[in-house]
Amino acid sequence: MTEVLQLIISGAIQGMIYALIAFGYNLTFSTSKTINFSLGQIVMLGGVVGYILYIDMTSGHLSGMPFIVPLLAVMVVGALAGAVVHKTAVEPSLKFKSEYTWILATLAVGIIIKNGVEQIWSTGDYKMLSPLGDEVIRFGGIGIYAQEILIVVVSLSIVCGVEIFKRRTIYGKAIQAVSEDKATASLMGIPEKFVITISFMMSACIAAIAGLLVAPLTFVAATMGTVLGIKAYSVSIIGGLESGFGPLVGGLILGISETLTARYISTGYKEMPGFIFLIVVILFKPNGLFGKKIIKKV
Amino acid sequence: MKRNVILAALVCLTTFSCAKKSEDIKVGVYGPFSGGSAPMGVSMRNGVRIAVDEINAAGGVLGKKFVIVDRDDEAKNERGGQIMQELLDKENVVAVLGPANTGVANASTQYTQQKHIPQIVNVSAGAKVNEFFAASPENYIFRIAANDDVQSKVIVNQAIKRGAKKPALLCDDTNYGQNGREKMEAALAAAGVKPVYIGKFKLKDTDMTAQLQEAKAAGADVLLAYGIGPELAAVSNSMDRISWKVPMLGSWTLSMSNYTTNAGKNGNGTMMPQTFIETAAKSPKQLAFIKAYADKFKESPISSAVSAAQGYDSMYLLKMAIEQAGSTEGTKIRQALESLSAPYEGVTGSYTKPFSPTDHEATKEANVMLGLVQDGKIISSEK
Repeated sequence: MTEVLQLIISGAIQGMIYALIAFGYNLTFSTSKTINFSLGQIVMLGGVVGYILYIDMTSGHLSGMPFIVPLLAVMVVGALAGAVVHKTAVEPSLKFKSEYTWILATLAVGIIIKNGVEQIWSTGDYKMLSPLGDEVIRFGGIGIYAQEILIVVVSLSIVCGVEIFKRRTIYGKAIQAVSEDKATASLMGIPEKFVITISFMMSACIAAIAGLLVAPLTFVAATMGTVLGIKAYSVSIIGGLESGFGPLVGGLILGISETLTARYISTGYKEMPGFIFLIVVILFKPNGLFGKKIIKKV
Repeated sequence: MKRNVILAALVCLTTFSCAKKSEDIKVGVYGPFSGGSAPMGVSMRNGVRIAVDEINAAGGVLGKKFVIVDRDDEAKNERGGQIMQELLDKENVVAVLGPANTGVANASTQYTQQKHIPQIVNVSAGAKVNEFFAASPENYIFRIAANDDVQSKVIVNQAIKRGAKKPALLCDDTNYGQNGREKMEAALAAAGVKPVYIGKFKLKDTDMTAQLQEAKAAGADVLLAYGIGPELAAVSNSMDRISWKVPMLGSWTLSMSNYTTNAGKNGNGTMMPQTFIETAAKSPKQLAFIKAYADKFKESPISSAVSAAQGYDSMYLLKMAIEQAGSTEGTKIRQALESLSAPYEGVTGSYTKPFSPTDHEATKEANVMLGLVQDGKIISSEK
């Protein structure tokens, strides 16, 4: 029993990380109907910037900086990266009226970020220390890292916080208005362009925080964001790109199915059930489990 | 007219510069200088550099100096092939040292073989070496490193000697890991022991809980692992997480710095075969080597001491062969390597006729020591 519980908890925590990044995809999609495919690399950027500030690279010990410094720095870097992606990759593509150039453009920005980090920083794998310590906390037979509890708490608060912001505040309503109907929102005096830029910055900022959070559990490396970005994207599709809480459910499904498959079927098939489920969802509910139906009026 | 003059000048310049360069003896060195295998590649290259500096300072060989042409293969198989063609066709090296990764080696050794250029594999344990004899009796591939066969025997024998009856095998899914798994299974079968669990993991995996729980449920009393540093550290960390405490033995890569630092205290007690253990260095040659390394590269302990030592020794064996052959011609160097008349006292041990025309493996089971992780350092353990 403890064994199954341990697997479910490990999987759920992994799922929370996917969910947080997926939530970032959803933010930009709801306002601009585009997806920032460089988000996985921004996750990595968050991990790397956090590592550089928090850890002394030569000794591998703490650099002595309080955790708040890397946290704030990572948020700023994330938000800036989001603004840059929007300005350089998404806005110009949308101007050209060619519908899908932004896919390639954001992917290209992602490759540039990754290669840049490899060139300027390092191509090695480094161990990030958790601000809460790296000891395993035991509940009965189940081992959990303090960092993992932090991940769950922070992910839930970010998702809930942003959703409340969107539903309850005037600025949040502006974002929702843009996602409902850009033209009308613009006519009502909402600075549509500005709202879209803000959504890109928020989304990338969240991704960078996700990178900082996940770093102590994985290794910090230029390659750390690639797989996370892809899996979070499928979580977005499963949960529904238009949905706020959908990614949480999608993340849990993918994360838990991975650990259970690895244990009871084979580690080689670990990723398969999640992706089979993804295909099933696309076949029967193309807008995701919690997506709204989009009616395109012609 | 003017263009012709410039062209002529260029031709003169290139021939002149080529002529000048041919006074040096070029040796190709390739390995992973970036990524998860980087400690092996970088340490190996540093070891070769120390040897080359010493040899050149002592007057070189045949009145010429050695020059290293080094290339980063990034541990990618296809890069290995490209680099090798560049080294052989463009740089015209007289011999090649490296690489570290089995996949890279097997994707590139055919080129040295075809070109009749001797190559000493100085880190990769899984690369094909003696296997080439079947197809070509004139084999140009040599090795100074404990191959997977030797390592697996040491790992399995040590596990059994320590009372293990139900081993679990956990290996990465690369050529290296799977080759190791095959060899360990064979060694276990020879000892009449059947593994209770065989699992694998991917590069970059960080959570091994599922595999370890299955091994634990199968009642394993020892874990035999084959992989590289970061993932092996993840194995040790996940063992701690599910509070499963059985001895862990595995490939020599458990001595890499990215295992010991990333596993931290969870790495304590892990054992692995080693050809050189920095903390157990006794001979003047070994101590001088460690000092030279620390002075030149400001690194102590060496991030992969085994690779550094093997790199150093491989360079000296090559130098001795060129000296004995009195030539830098591939065939003559090969023949000299196969019949080295002078004994060699190296960092990884003493060698008298390390290679023969039918055996290109310098490292035998008797040369291999057993290393043990203790507080981030590798110490020598009783074999």
